Amino acid sequence: MDIAFASETLMSLLSALPLTLELAVTAIAFGSVLALALALARLSGMLVLDWLARSYVFVFRGTPLLVQIFLIYYGLSQFAAVRHSIFWPVLREPYWCAALALMLNTAAYASEIIRGGLLSVPHGQVEAARACGMPRFMIFRRIVMPLAIRQALPGYGNEMMSMVKATSLASIITLMEITGVAARIISESYRVIEVFVVAGAIYLAINFLLTRLIAFVEYRLTPHQRQPLAIHAN
Amino acid sequence: MNIPAKVTSPVAIGLRDLHKSFGPVEVLKGISLDAREGEVISILGSSGSGKSTLLRCINMLEVPDSGTIAVAGETIRLKMASGGKSRPADQRQVDRIRSELGMVFQSFNLWSHKTVLENVIEAPIHVLRRPRSEAIEEAEALLAKVGIADKRNHYPAHLSGGQQQRAAIARALAMRPKAMLFDEPTSALDPELVGEVLRVMRGLAEEGRTMLVVTHEMGFARDVSSRVAFLHKGAIEEEGAPHEVFANSKSQRFRQFISS
Repeated sequence: MDIAFASETLMSLLSALPLTLELAVTAIAFGSVLALALALARLSGMLVLDWLARSYVFVFRGTPLLVQIFLIYYGLSQFAAVRHSIFWPVLREPYWCAALALMLNTAAYASEIIRGGLLSVPHGQVEAARACGMPRFMIFRRIVMPLAIRQALPGYGNEMMSMVKATSLASIITLMEITGVAARIISESYRVIEVFVVAGAIYLAINFLLTRLIAFVEYRLTPHQRQPLAIHAN
Repeated sequence: MNIPAKVTSPVAIGLRDLHKSFGPVEVLKGISLDAREGEVISILGSSGSGKSTLLRCINMLEVPDSGTIAVAGETIRLKMASGGKSRPADQRQVDRIRSELGMVFQSFNLWSHKTVLENVIEAPIHVLRRPRSEAIEEAEALLAKVGIADKRNHYPAHLSGGQQQRAAIARALAMRPKAMLFDEPTSALDPELVGEVLRVMRGLAEEGRTMLVVTHEMGFARDVSSRVAFLHKGAIEEEGAPHEVFANSKSQRFRQFISS
Protein backbone atom coordinates (compact mmCIF):
# COMPACT_ATOMS: atom_id res chain seq x y z
CA MET A 1 0.00 0.00 0.00
CA ASP A 2 1.26 3.40 -1.03
CA ILE A 3 1.21 5.54 2.10
CA ALA A 4 1.81 8.81 0.28
CA PHE A 5 -1.04 8.11 -2.12
CA ALA A 6 -3.30 6.98 0.70
CA SER A 7 -2.74 10.14 2.71
CA GLU A 8 -3.29 12.26 -0.36
CA THR A 9 -6.54 10.35 -0.93
CA LEU A 10 -7.50 10.88 2.68
CA MET A 11 -7.17 14.64 2.27
CA SER A 12 -9.36 14.63 -0.86
CA LEU A 13 -11.95 12.41 0.76
CA LEU A 14 -12.05 14.52 3.91
CA SER A 15 -12.97 17.51 1.81
CA ALA A 16 -16.14 15.57 0.99
CA LEU A 17 -16.87 14.82 4.64
CA PRO A 18 -19.05 17.91 5.22
CA LEU A 19 -21.42 16.88 2.44
CA THR A 20 -21.75 13.35 3.84
CA LEU A 21 -22.45 14.70 7.32
CA GLU A 22 -24.91 17.27 6.00
CA LEU A 23 -26.85 14.58 4.17
CA ALA A 24 -26.94 12.32 7.20
CA VAL A 25 -27.89 15.05 9.67
CA THR A 26 -30.59 16.47 7.40
CA ALA A 27 -32.10 13.05 6.77
CA ILE A 28 -32.00 12.00 10.41
CA ALA A 29 -33.35 15.31 11.72
CA PHE A 30 -36.30 15.63 9.34
CA GLY A 31 -36.76 11.87 9.33
CA SER A 32 -37.20 11.74 13.09
CA VAL A 33 -40.01 14.28 12.96
CA LEU A 34 -41.80 12.34 10.24
CA ALA A 35 -41.10 9.09 12.12
CA LEU A 36 -42.75 10.44 15.25
CA ALA A 37 -45.77 11.54 13.23
CA LEU A 38 -46.00 8.07 11.65
CA ALA A 39 -45.68 6.33 15.01
CA LEU A 40 -48.42 8.51 16.47
CA ALA A 41 -50.59 7.81 13.45
CA ARG A 42 -50.11 4.09 14.02
CA LEU A 43 -51.12 4.45 17.66
CA SER A 44 -53.88 7.02 17.11
CA GLY A 45 -56.61 4.41 17.09
CA MET A 46 -57.97 6.08 13.96
CA LEU A 47 -58.28 3.50 11.22
CA VAL A 48 -57.49 5.83 8.32
CA LEU A 49 -54.33 7.25 9.90
CA ASP A 50 -53.25 3.81 11.05
CA TRP A 51 -53.52 2.33 7.58
CA LEU A 52 -51.89 5.30 5.88
CA ALA A 53 -48.90 4.94 8.20
CA ARG A 54 -48.84 1.16 7.80
CA SER A 55 -48.82 1.44 3.99
CA TYR A 56 -46.11 4.07 4.07
CA VAL A 57 -43.89 1.96 6.28
CA PHE A 58 -44.56 -1.13 4.17
CA VAL A 59 -43.58 0.61 0.92
CA PHE A 60 -40.49 2.39 2.19
CA ARG A 61 -39.14 -0.56 4.15
CA GLY A 62 -39.98 -3.00 1.41
CA THR A 63 -38.21 -1.31 -1.49
CA PRO A 64 -34.49 -0.61 -1.95
CA LEU A 65 -33.26 2.82 -0.98
CA LEU A 66 -31.41 3.02 -4.31
CA VAL A 67 -34.68 2.53 -6.18
CA GLN A 68 -36.27 5.26 -4.07
CA ILE A 69 -33.40 7.63 -4.87
CA PHE A 70 -33.73 6.92 -8.59
CA LEU A 71 -37.48 7.38 -8.52
CA ILE A 72 -37.21 10.73 -6.78
CA TYR A 73 -34.27 12.07 -8.79
CA TYR A 74 -35.05 10.73 -12.28
CA GLY A 75 -38.70 9.81 -11.87
CA LEU A 76 -40.27 12.97 -10.50
CA SER A 77 -38.79 15.21 -13.19
CA GLN A 78 -40.76 13.27 -15.82
CA PHE A 79 -43.93 14.91 -14.64
CA ALA A 80 -44.64 18.38 -15.96
CA ALA A 81 -46.75 19.08 -12.90
CA VAL A 82 -43.69 18.55 -10.70
CA ARG A 83 -41.47 20.66 -12.94
CA HIS A 84 -43.92 23.52 -12.77
CA SER A 85 -44.66 23.20 -9.06
CA ILE A 86 -43.16 25.33 -6.31
CA PHE A 87 -41.12 22.31 -5.22
CA TRP A 88 -39.12 22.18 -8.43
CA PRO A 89 -36.26 24.42 -7.28
CA VAL A 90 -35.74 21.87 -4.50
CA LEU A 91 -36.48 18.66 -6.41
CA ARG A 92 -34.18 19.76 -9.23
CA GLU A 93 -31.19 19.58 -6.90
CA PRO A 94 -29.54 16.17 -6.54
CA TYR A 95 -28.66 17.08 -2.95
CA TRP A 96 -32.28 17.57 -1.94
CA CYS A 97 -33.42 14.52 -3.87
CA ALA A 98 -30.91 12.38 -1.99
CA ALA A 99 -31.75 14.01 1.34
CA LEU A 100 -35.46 13.53 0.67
CA ALA A 101 -35.05 9.86 -0.22
CA LEU A 102 -32.88 9.21 2.83
CA MET A 103 -35.32 11.06 5.05
CA LEU A 104 -38.40 9.24 3.76
CA ASN A 105 -36.58 5.94 4.11
CA THR A 106 -35.25 6.44 7.63
CA ALA A 107 -38.64 7.73 8.77
CA ALA A 108 -40.20 4.38 7.90
CA TYR A 109 -37.70 2.40 9.97
CA ALA A 110 -37.50 4.90 12.80
CA SER A 111 -41.29 5.09 13.13
CA GLU A 112 -41.34 1.44 14.13
CA ILE A 113 -38.52 2.02 16.63
CA ILE A 114 -40.39 4.95 18.16
CA ARG A 115 -43.65 3.03 18.18
CA GLY A 116 -41.92 0.27 20.13
CA GLY A 117 -40.64 2.86 22.59
CA LEU A 118 -44.07 4.40 23.03
CA LEU A 119 -45.66 0.99 23.57
CA SER A 120 -43.10 0.16 26.25
CA VAL A 121 -44.23 3.00 28.53
CA PRO A 122 -45.95 1.39 31.52
CA HIS A 123 -49.66 2.18 31.48
CA GLY A 124 -49.70 2.75 35.23
CA GLN A 125 -47.32 5.70 34.95
CA VAL A 126 -49.58 7.30 32.35
CA GLU A 127 -52.57 6.68 34.59
CA ALA A 128 -50.79 8.30 37.54
CA ALA A 129 -50.19 11.38 35.40
CA ARG A 130 -53.85 11.46 34.41
CA ALA A 131 -54.90 11.13 38.02
CA CYS A 132 -52.85 14.26 38.81
CA GLY A 133 -54.92 16.20 36.31
CA MET A 134 -52.26 16.49 33.62
CA PRO A 135 -53.71 17.26 30.18
CA ARG A 136 -52.94 14.83 27.37
CA PHE A 137 -50.20 16.80 25.71
CA MET A 138 -48.43 17.44 29.01
CA ILE A 139 -48.51 13.71 29.78
CA PHE A 140 -47.00 13.03 26.37
CA ARG A 141 -44.30 15.66 26.80
CA ARG A 142 -43.39 15.09 30.46
CA ILE A 143 -43.97 11.35 30.98
CA VAL A 144 -44.49 9.32 27.81
CA MET A 145 -41.84 10.82 25.52
CA PRO A 146 -38.95 10.79 28.04
CA LEU A 147 -39.65 7.14 28.87
CA ALA A 148 -40.12 6.16 25.22
CA ILE A 149 -36.90 7.85 24.09
CA ARG A 150 -34.88 5.95 26.68
CA GLN A 151 -36.34 2.71 25.41
CA ALA A 152 -35.96 3.54 21.73
CA LEU A 153 -32.45 4.94 21.84
CA PRO A 154 -30.43 1.73 21.26
CA GLY A 155 -32.54 0.83 18.24
CA TYR A 156 -32.45 4.38 16.97
CA GLY A 157 -28.66 4.31 17.23
CA ASN A 158 -28.60 1.44 14.75
CA GLU A 159 -30.80 3.36 12.39
CA MET A 160 -28.63 6.48 12.56
CA MET A 161 -25.55 4.45 11.71
CA SER A 162 -27.38 2.90 8.78
CA MET A 163 -28.18 6.39 7.56
CA VAL A 164 -24.56 7.50 7.72
CA LYS A 165 -23.62 4.58 5.51
CA ALA A 166 -26.63 5.01 3.25
CA THR A 167 -25.46 8.50 2.28
CA SER A 168 -22.93 6.73 0.05
CA LEU A 169 -25.77 5.90 -2.35
CA ALA A 170 -26.12 9.60 -3.09
CA SER A 171 -22.95 9.30 -5.21
CA ILE A 172 -25.10 7.51 -7.81
CA ILE A 173 -26.95 10.74 -8.54
CA THR A 174 -23.78 12.79 -9.03
CA LEU A 175 -23.27 13.97 -5.46
CA MET A 176 -19.63 14.31 -4.55
CA GLU A 177 -19.81 13.04 -1.00
CA ILE A 178 -17.15 10.64 0.29
CA THR A 179 -18.06 7.67 -1.89
CA GLY A 180 -18.59 9.92 -4.91
CA VAL A 181 -15.15 11.43 -4.56
CA ALA A 182 -13.68 7.98 -3.95
CA ALA A 183 -15.20 6.70 -7.18
CA ARG A 184 -13.78 9.66 -9.09
CA ILE A 185 -10.28 9.11 -7.69
CA ILE A 186 -10.45 5.43 -8.65
CA SER A 187 -11.51 6.23 -12.18
CA GLU A 188 -8.47 8.48 -12.43
CA SER A 189 -5.95 6.26 -10.63
CA TYR A 190 -7.33 2.70 -10.87
CA ARG A 191 -6.19 2.11 -7.28
CA VAL A 192 -9.27 0.54 -5.77
CA ILE A 193 -7.83 -0.85 -2.55
CA GLU A 194 -6.21 2.31 -1.18
CA VAL A 195 -9.15 4.53 -2.00
CA PHE A 196 -11.89 2.31 -0.66
CA VAL A 197 -9.93 1.35 2.45
CA VAL A 198 -9.52 5.03 3.25
CA ALA A 199 -13.19 5.76 2.42
CA GLY A 200 -14.31 2.85 4.60
CA ALA A 201 -12.10 4.07 7.43
CA ILE A 202 -13.76 7.48 7.35
CA TYR A 203 -17.25 5.95 7.65
CA LEU A 204 -15.93 3.76 10.45
CA ALA A 205 -14.58 6.82 12.27
CA ILE A 206 -17.88 8.69 11.91
CA ASN A 207 -19.83 5.74 13.25
CA PHE A 208 -17.36 5.23 16.07
CA LEU A 209 -17.99 8.78 17.23
CA LEU A 210 -21.72 8.27 16.72
CA THR A 211 -21.79 5.14 18.90
CA ARG A 212 -19.89 6.98 21.64
CA LEU A 213 -22.31 9.87 21.42
CA ILE A 214 -25.34 7.59 21.63
CA ALA A 215 -23.83 5.65 24.53
CA PHE A 216 -23.20 8.94 26.32
CA VAL A 217 -26.73 10.19 25.79
CA GLU A 218 -28.09 6.82 26.92
CA TYR A 219 -25.97 7.00 30.05
CA ARG A 220 -27.19 10.49 30.85
CA LEU A 221 -30.82 9.58 30.27
CA THR A 222 -30.92 6.47 32.44
CA PRO A 223 -29.68 7.35 35.93
CA HIS A 224 -32.67 5.39 37.28
CA GLN A 225 -31.30 2.17 35.83
CA ARG A 226 -27.92 2.55 37.51
CA GLN A 227 -27.00 1.66 41.04
CA PRO A 228 -27.49 4.68 43.30
CA LEU A 229 -23.77 5.01 44.00
CA ALA A 230 -23.40 8.62 43.01
CA ILE A 231 -26.58 9.67 44.75
CA HIS A 232 -26.22 11.17 48.18
CA ALA A 233 -28.83 12.08 50.69
CA ASN A 234 -28.53 15.64 49.55
CA MET B 1 -59.54 4.85 67.44
CA ASN B 2 -62.10 5.21 64.67
CA ILE B 3 -62.69 8.41 62.77
CA PRO B 4 -66.21 9.41 63.81
CA ALA B 5 -68.90 9.59 61.14
CA LYS B 6 -69.51 13.18 60.02
CA VAL B 7 -73.23 13.33 59.56
CA THR B 8 -73.37 17.08 59.28
CA SER B 9 -70.26 17.95 57.27
CA PRO B 10 -70.66 18.79 53.59
CA VAL B 11 -70.47 16.00 51.04
CA ALA B 12 -66.97 15.79 49.56
CA ILE B 13 -67.74 13.08 47.05
CA GLY B 14 -71.28 12.20 46.07
CA LEU B 15 -72.03 9.21 43.87
CA ARG B 16 -75.54 8.60 42.51
CA ASP B 17 -76.70 5.45 40.82
CA LEU B 18 -73.44 4.58 39.05
CA HIS B 19 -73.64 1.95 36.35
CA LYS B 20 -70.69 0.57 34.47
CA SER B 21 -70.28 -2.41 32.16
CA PHE B 22 -67.23 -3.85 30.50
CA GLY B 23 -68.68 -5.51 27.41
CA PRO B 24 -71.38 -7.88 28.59
CA VAL B 25 -70.22 -7.81 32.22
CA GLU B 26 -72.05 -5.35 34.42
CA VAL B 27 -69.47 -4.32 37.03
CA LEU B 28 -71.41 -1.57 38.81
CA LYS B 29 -75.15 -1.98 39.18
CA GLY B 30 -76.35 1.36 40.45
CA ILE B 31 -74.12 2.47 43.30
CA SER B 32 -74.83 5.51 45.44
CA LEU B 33 -72.46 6.63 48.14
CA ASP B 34 -71.70 9.91 49.91
CA ALA B 35 -68.34 10.64 51.47
CA ARG B 36 -68.58 13.60 53.81
CA GLU B 37 -65.62 15.82 54.56
CA GLY B 38 -63.33 14.22 57.11
CA GLU B 39 -64.76 10.76 56.65
CA VAL B 40 -62.70 7.67 55.99
CA ILE B 41 -64.68 5.10 54.05
CA SER B 42 -63.29 1.64 53.57
CA ILE B 43 -64.62 -0.12 50.51
CA LEU B 44 -64.46 -3.87 50.94
CA GLY B 45 -65.37 -6.74 48.71
CA SER B 46 -63.96 -9.82 47.07
CA SER B 47 -62.12 -9.45 43.78
CA GLY B 48 -64.47 -8.79 40.92
CA SER B 49 -67.00 -7.09 43.18
CA GLY B 50 -66.40 -3.77 41.40
CA LYS B 51 -64.70 -1.88 44.22
CA SER B 52 -61.69 -0.74 42.20
CA THR B 53 -63.90 0.25 39.29
CA LEU B 54 -66.03 2.28 41.67
CA LEU B 55 -63.00 4.15 42.95
CA ARG B 56 -61.63 4.70 39.44
CA CYS B 57 -64.95 6.16 38.32
CA ILE B 58 -64.61 8.97 40.87
CA ASN B 59 -61.69 10.55 39.00
CA MET B 60 -62.84 9.34 35.60
CA LEU B 61 -60.09 6.80 35.04
CA GLU B 62 -63.17 4.77 34.17
CA VAL B 63 -66.15 6.58 32.73
CA PRO B 64 -69.45 5.33 34.17
CA ASP B 65 -72.17 4.44 31.67
CA SER B 66 -74.72 6.35 33.70
CA GLY B 67 -75.17 8.01 37.07
CA THR B 68 -73.60 11.15 38.49
CA ILE B 69 -70.40 11.96 40.33
CA ALA B 70 -70.05 15.19 42.27
CA VAL B 71 -66.81 16.35 43.85
CA ALA B 72 -67.19 19.15 46.41
CA GLY B 73 -70.65 19.78 45.02
CA GLU B 74 -69.53 20.04 41.40
CA THR B 75 -71.07 17.44 39.13
CA ILE B 76 -68.82 16.00 36.43
CA ARG B 77 -70.58 16.56 33.12
CA LEU B 78 -70.91 13.52 30.89
CA LYS B 79 -72.17 13.21 27.35
CA MET B 80 -73.15 10.37 25.07
CA ALA B 81 -70.61 9.91 22.33
CA SER B 82 -71.38 8.13 19.06
CA GLY B 83 -71.69 4.42 19.63
CA GLY B 84 -73.59 4.88 22.88
CA LYS B 85 -70.43 5.33 24.93
CA SER B 86 -70.50 7.78 27.77
CA ARG B 87 -67.68 10.36 27.76
CA PRO B 88 -66.69 13.43 29.77
CA ALA B 89 -68.32 16.47 28.21
CA ASP B 90 -65.45 18.74 29.21
CA GLN B 91 -62.01 17.24 29.55
CA ARG B 92 -60.72 20.42 31.21
CA GLN B 93 -63.27 20.02 33.98
CA VAL B 94 -62.16 16.41 34.45
CA ASP B 95 -58.48 17.43 34.56
CA ARG B 96 -59.23 20.12 37.13
CA ILE B 97 -61.26 17.78 39.34
CA ARG B 98 -58.56 15.13 39.05
CA SER B 99 -56.05 17.66 40.32
CA GLU B 100 -58.26 18.11 43.39
CA LEU B 101 -58.25 14.38 44.17
CA GLY B 102 -55.18 12.48 45.25
CA MET B 103 -54.94 8.92 43.99
CA VAL B 104 -52.74 6.14 45.31
CA PHE B 105 -52.43 2.98 43.23
CA GLN B 106 -51.84 -0.63 44.10
CA SER B 107 -48.69 -0.71 41.97
CA PHE B 108 -47.43 2.73 43.12
CA ASN B 109 -46.99 4.00 39.54
CA LEU B 110 -44.21 6.41 40.39
CA TRP B 111 -42.59 7.92 37.30
CA SER B 112 -39.51 5.79 36.91
CA HIS B 113 -37.38 8.42 35.18
CA LYS B 114 -37.80 10.94 37.98
CA THR B 115 -36.38 10.96 41.48
CA VAL B 116 -38.68 10.79 44.48
CA LEU B 117 -38.53 14.57 44.90
CA GLU B 118 -39.14 15.14 41.18
CA ASN B 119 -42.14 12.82 41.37
CA VAL B 120 -43.63 14.86 44.18
CA ILE B 121 -43.07 18.31 42.65
CA GLU B 122 -43.99 17.39 39.07
CA ALA B 123 -47.73 18.01 39.15
CA PRO B 124 -47.71 20.92 41.65
CA ILE B 125 -45.33 22.79 39.34
CA HIS B 126 -46.82 21.85 35.98
CA VAL B 127 -50.50 21.38 36.75
CA LEU B 128 -51.04 23.77 39.64
CA ARG B 129 -48.31 26.16 38.43
CA ARG B 130 -46.85 26.67 41.86
CA PRO B 131 -43.43 28.26 42.10
CA ARG B 132 -40.70 25.65 42.02
CA SER B 133 -39.05 26.66 45.29
CA GLU B 134 -42.36 26.57 47.12
CA ALA B 135 -43.18 23.15 45.63
CA ILE B 136 -39.81 21.76 46.70
CA GLU B 137 -40.22 23.11 50.21
CA GLU B 138 -43.63 21.52 50.56
CA ALA B 139 -42.46 18.27 48.97
CA GLU B 140 -39.62 17.97 51.45
CA ALA B 141 -42.00 18.47 54.34
CA LEU B 142 -44.30 15.78 52.92
CA LEU B 143 -41.44 13.35 52.39
CA ALA B 144 -40.39 13.91 55.98
CA LYS B 145 -43.96 13.30 57.07
CA VAL B 146 -44.13 9.93 55.31
CA GLY B 147 -40.67 9.11 56.61
CA ILE B 148 -38.54 9.02 53.48
CA ALA B 149 -36.88 12.43 53.48
CA ASP B 150 -33.49 10.74 53.08
CA LYS B 151 -34.63 9.09 49.84
CA ARG B 152 -35.59 12.27 48.05
CA ASN B 153 -32.88 11.98 45.40
CA HIS B 154 -33.33 8.26 44.81
CA TYR B 155 -35.10 6.82 41.83
CA PRO B 156 -38.18 4.65 42.47
CA ALA B 157 -36.37 1.50 41.28
CA HIS B 158 -33.98 1.87 44.21
CA LEU B 159 -36.68 1.93 46.89
CA SER B 160 -38.57 -0.84 48.64
CA GLY B 161 -42.25 -1.26 47.87
CA GLY B 162 -43.25 0.37 51.13
CA GLN B 163 -41.00 3.36 50.45
CA GLN B 164 -42.36 3.66 46.92
CA GLN B 165 -45.92 3.64 48.18
CA ARG B 166 -45.14 6.27 50.78
CA ALA B 167 -43.54 8.39 48.05
CA ALA B 168 -46.71 7.92 46.01
CA ILE B 169 -48.78 9.10 48.98
CA ALA B 170 -46.55 12.18 49.28
CA ARG B 171 -47.03 12.80 45.56
CA ALA B 172 -50.79 12.68 45.98
CA LEU B 173 -50.70 14.93 49.06
CA ALA B 174 -48.59 17.50 47.23
CA MET B 175 -51.67 18.40 45.19
CA ARG B 176 -53.40 19.52 48.43
CA PRO B 177 -56.32 17.28 47.49
CA LYS B 178 -59.87 17.67 48.75
CA ALA B 179 -60.07 13.90 49.07
CA MET B 180 -57.73 10.94 48.74
CA LEU B 181 -58.52 7.79 46.79
CA PHE B 182 -56.60 4.64 47.73
CA ASP B 183 -56.84 1.68 45.37
CA GLU B 184 -55.62 -1.34 47.35
CA PRO B 185 -52.54 0.55 48.53
CA THR B 186 -51.01 -2.36 50.42
CA SER B 187 -51.95 -5.30 48.20
CA ALA B 188 -48.66 -5.34 46.31
CA LEU B 189 -46.52 -5.15 49.44
CA ASP B 190 -44.69 -7.79 51.45
CA PRO B 191 -46.41 -8.34 54.80
CA GLU B 192 -43.63 -6.61 56.73
CA LEU B 193 -43.96 -3.48 54.57
CA VAL B 194 -47.72 -3.16 54.92
CA GLY B 195 -47.47 -1.66 58.40
CA GLU B 196 -45.39 1.35 57.42
CA VAL B 197 -47.92 2.34 54.74
CA LEU B 198 -50.92 1.77 56.99
CA ARG B 199 -49.30 3.93 59.68
CA VAL B 200 -49.03 6.80 57.22
CA MET B 201 -52.63 6.34 56.16
CA ARG B 202 -53.82 6.24 59.74
CA GLY B 203 -51.98 9.50 60.36
CA LEU B 204 -53.78 11.09 57.41
CA ALA B 205 -57.12 9.86 58.71
CA GLU B 206 -56.43 11.40 62.10
CA GLU B 207 -55.64 14.72 60.42
CA GLY B 208 -59.24 14.76 59.26
CA ARG B 209 -58.62 14.03 55.61
CA THR B 210 -61.43 12.68 53.47
CA MET B 211 -60.37 9.25 52.31
CA LEU B 212 -61.91 6.49 50.22
CA VAL B 213 -59.93 3.32 50.65
CA VAL B 214 -60.39 0.15 48.65
CA THR B 215 -58.65 -2.40 50.82
CA HIS B 216 -58.33 -5.94 52.04
CA GLU B 217 -56.90 -4.76 55.36
CA MET B 218 -59.69 -5.65 57.77
CA GLY B 219 -57.78 -4.14 60.66
CA PHE B 220 -57.66 -0.76 58.96
CA ALA B 221 -61.33 -0.95 57.97
CA ARG B 222 -62.38 -1.91 61.48
CA ASP B 223 -60.10 0.34 63.52
CA VAL B 224 -59.64 3.48 61.46
CA SER B 225 -62.53 4.06 59.11
CA SER B 226 -65.65 5.99 59.96
CA ARG B 227 -67.72 3.88 57.61
CA VAL B 228 -67.46 0.62 55.77
CA ALA B 229 -69.09 -0.21 52.45
CA PHE B 230 -69.13 -3.82 51.35
CA LEU B 231 -69.56 -4.43 47.63
CA HIS B 232 -70.90 -7.64 46.23
CA LYS B 233 -71.43 -8.23 42.52
CA GLY B 234 -71.52 -4.55 41.70
CA ALA B 235 -73.91 -3.42 44.43
CA ILE B 236 -73.46 -2.19 47.98
CA GLU B 237 -74.46 -5.16 50.08
CA GLU B 238 -73.68 -3.70 53.49
CA GLU B 239 -72.84 -0.25 54.72
CA GLY B 240 -72.42 1.29 58.14
CA ALA B 241 -70.17 2.18 61.03
CA PRO B 242 -67.47 -0.47 61.43
CA HIS B 243 -68.27 -1.33 65.03
CA GLU B 244 -71.86 -2.04 64.00
CA VAL B 245 -71.35 -3.96 60.78
CA PHE B 246 -68.40 -5.97 62.02
CA ALA B 247 -70.29 -6.98 65.15
CA ASN B 248 -73.73 -7.73 63.81
CA SER B 249 -74.26 -7.48 60.08
CA LYS B 250 -77.54 -8.67 58.63
CA SER B 251 -75.72 -9.64 55.46
CA GLN B 252 -74.66 -13.25 55.53
CA ARG B 253 -72.25 -12.62 52.64
CA PHE B 254 -70.51 -9.93 54.64
CA ARG B 255 -70.26 -12.14 57.72
CA GLN B 256 -68.81 -14.83 55.50
CA PHE B 257 -66.42 -12.35 53.92
CA ILE B 258 -64.98 -11.11 57.21
CA SER B 259 -64.76 -14.54 58.75
CA SER B 260 -62.75 -16.00 55.86
